[in-house]
Amino acid sequence: MTLAWFLQNLLNGLSMGSVYAIFALGYTLVFSILGIINFAHGAVFTLGAYLTYLLSVGQFGINGLLAGWQLPFTLPFPLALLAGAGLSGLAGMAVERLAFKPLRARQADALLALVSSLGVALILVNLIQYLFGAEIYSYPSDVLGSLPPAFIFKVGGKPVAVRTVQIVLFVVSLVMLAALAWFIHGTKAGKALRATAENQDTASLLGINVDAFILGTFFVSGLLGGLSGTLIGVSFGLSGPYFGVAYGLKALAVIVLGGLGSIPGAVLGGLVIGLGEAFLPPDLSSYKEAVAYALLFVILLVRPQGLLGGTTEQKV
Amino acid sequence: MLALDDVTLAYGPVVAVEGVSLTVEQGEIVTLIGANGAGKTTILRAVSRLIKPRKGSVAFMGRDLAGLTPDKVVRLGLAHSPEGRQVLARLSVLENLELGAYVRSDAAGVAEDLERMFGLFPRLRERQRQAAGTLSGGEQQMLAIARALMSRPRLLLLDEPSLGLAPIIVEEIFEIITALNREGTTILLVEQNAHLAMQAAHRAYVLEAGRLVVSGDARALMDDERVKRAYLG
Amino acid sequence: MAAFFDLYGFLCIMILQQALLGYSLYFPLMAGQLSLASIGFYSLGGYVAAIMGTHPAFEAWRATLGWLMIPLEWLAALLLSVVLAVAVGLPALRLRGIYLALATIAFVQVLNVVVLNMPIAGGAVGIFGIPQAFESRFAYIWFFGPLLLLTILFTLRLERSAAGRNFMAVREDELAAGAMGVRTTANKVLAFVIGCALAGVVGAMSAPFLNTWNARQGTFDAGVACLAYVLIGGSRSKWGPLLGAALLVALPEVLRPLKDSRLILNGMVLVLACVYMPRGIAGLFAGRRA
Repeated sequence: MTLAWFLQNLLNGLSMGSVYAIFALGYTLVFSILGIINFAHGAVFTLGAYLTYLLSVGQFGINGLLAGWQLPFTLPFPLALLAGAGLSGLAGMAVERLAFKPLRARQADALLALVSSLGVALILVNLIQYLFGAEIYSYPSDVLGSLPPAFIFKVGGKPVAVRTVQIVLFVVSLVMLAALAWFIHGTKAGKALRATAENQDTASLLGINVDAFILGTFFVSGLLGGLSGTLIGVSFGLSGPYFGVAYGLKALAVIVLGGLGSIPGAVLGGLVIGLGEAFLPPDLSSYKEAVAYALLFVILLVRPQGLLGGTTEQKV
Repeated sequence: MLALDDVTLAYGPVVAVEGVSLTVEQGEIVTLIGANGAGKTTILRAVSRLIKPRKGSVAFMGRDLAGLTPDKVVRLGLAHSPEGRQVLARLSVLENLELGAYVRSDAAGVAEDLERMFGLFPRLRERQRQAAGTLSGGEQQMLAIARALMSRPRLLLLDEPSLGLAPIIVEEIFEIITALNREGTTILLVEQNAHLAMQAAHRAYVLEAGRLVVSGDARALMDDERVKRAYLG
Repeated sequence: MAAFFDLYGFLCIMILQQALLGYSLYFPLMAGQLSLASIGFYSLGGYVAAIMGTHPAFEAWRATLGWLMIPLEWLAALLLSVVLAVAVGLPALRLRGIYLALATIAFVQVLNVVVLNMPIAGGAVGIFGIPQAFESRFAYIWFFGPLLLLTILFTLRLERSAAGRNFMAVREDELAAGAMGVRTTANKVLAFVIGCALAGVVGAMSAPFLNTWNARQGTFDAGVACLAYVLIGGSRSKWGPLLGAALLVALPEVLRPLKDSRLILNGMVLVLACVYMPRGIAGLFAGRRA
């Protein structure tokens, strides 16, 4: 248990944890305003990853409908990231219009909204497979430009490595969090959003266009999803159109751990799971995928409202 | 200013209000009284378009409100302080008031009105940074009214302002209501406390099981038998 | 007739099998519990049958018991499922609504990882070469058919029984049911265990049918498919799981000519069904019920 070992795991955990947090926030925003889980979030995560890949590398793979097709331009990575995130936001809005709005208009059971969002997820993921094929896409090693792939420094004689990509993950996540916090607490629209999350009828009586805010929430949620999908994709590659499903479920563990509907909770939950996975002893490494779900199960039995949640106010 | 014409309102198969016509002229306080469940709140909700009429029409400032969502009605100059106050508990008192002025874009005017509200309701100034949910019932009612006033409405809908409040507070609130009206705010007041409401109002409509049974000058109706029967249930 | 079975026999059996999985979700739902755990028990049941059918340790049993091994596998799966369902259900069923659903999702995910790490289960590759009970695939209809029939008859009896009424009381209003003296936790656990036990047995039956068995049988997607059968078929109707499975299993086959875009259409059907058939297919025939 050297300091180097501790620092290495800490860095790994913080980096992954921050991406989990950003991704989970997409769920949190929708849950706080509609009281339901958007099961298409994982699909938007996947879509964002593929779109940003396409914009920065410019070429489709060898399978799929558009095999070998080349984009007439490519974007430098930061721009591709922003564009991909923006497009994912639009996709999020499309999800709201397709899966959720028609059911709200009919005052349908929340359970149906769940299945409906799963249906949209199915459509999206298979659309991706149709267009991009099922093969693995990997970013070229020079995607981050001329930055070195990793920084290695010595702590107490032992090396600690930080991949540049991990720094990017952490910094982008931090920036997004700060932007979100500023928006929600420092702007008029953010106040209106909080009002809508608390009581749609009252918000409406204050002149707030609730429908527009719900749509806007899905835009931000999709943006966060696409952004985190891209970051994971750059870090680990895109292992196929279904790679977002596992992350999607893991992010559910994040938000329940932190407390459904709580923004600081999503951040805390993300970090706890990220660190939990990073600090897992090497001989248990094949159980890594179970960490998040084991934590989820335990927290549900012990404290269902999550670490930072208030009362278990259920809307389903 | 406000005209309801033969309005029928229903929740699914249950008809709550049937064939009601009423008007509110500029500068008046009109009160809608009746027992619990008579349909008074339902009528207010129809005016602010939280529910849609099954039959009949609602017109505000001469404009038919059909097809509008509540946020659009509010932008026409109407404010609704709902039943149960419905302050946004997790937001601060100040944020609630600021949101009251959501539809306005004149920052200077909003700041001025905020000062005016604090002058009218000094207790709100004291508690402005507190979460609205921590206020007492009377303070929450004041907040609800102040919040509604922040949009400088032409018509203020007040739903049961006396509900659950101590008599002294209720008196205070009704003094404020009367003062507001003197300064020019038109008010449609729904109240279970018929006595207070009739004293404050110019005209009254009496509702019984979803139907209007009598209407007219408030003072004249105070001793009317039908009124007594209606609000005693 | 023979030509029909050649083309569609496999499909029919899949419909029966998937309908059974739908019922395994329907029983907890009768008591108002949204549980996605049954797919985990399906996977477990299949592994039990697969291991008992292929593992050297059971060679002697297989030799002496012959075809009786098959019902023994079902029994083993049933017992394991009941025990595990009670162990998981008792703590978990204190939760409600989406929290319970998430707990069951978490349970299945953990189970998957645990099973993947057990060498006896063959890791990611799984177990293959599971001995067949019949020579022809279509003969499996003699397994799934009667089981489905039994399940439907059971459901019919259940609906009319005190236990069934208790389930529905808990579903409608748990607090009120408790106040009326219904032992809510016991009933919820019972409904949950029935569902999981059924899933386990179906899994044990399916392992020989599919010849190989791996962790992909118990994924979240598969669990969601079962939920879809019940909701699309009609979550309040005893015919729901069968109707839903019939539609959702047949649909990709019917759309087969469309090749890759059929799963996209599958998703669209799901969304449209939620919007336009909120009470499911059964709801379309039920007319207006209070």
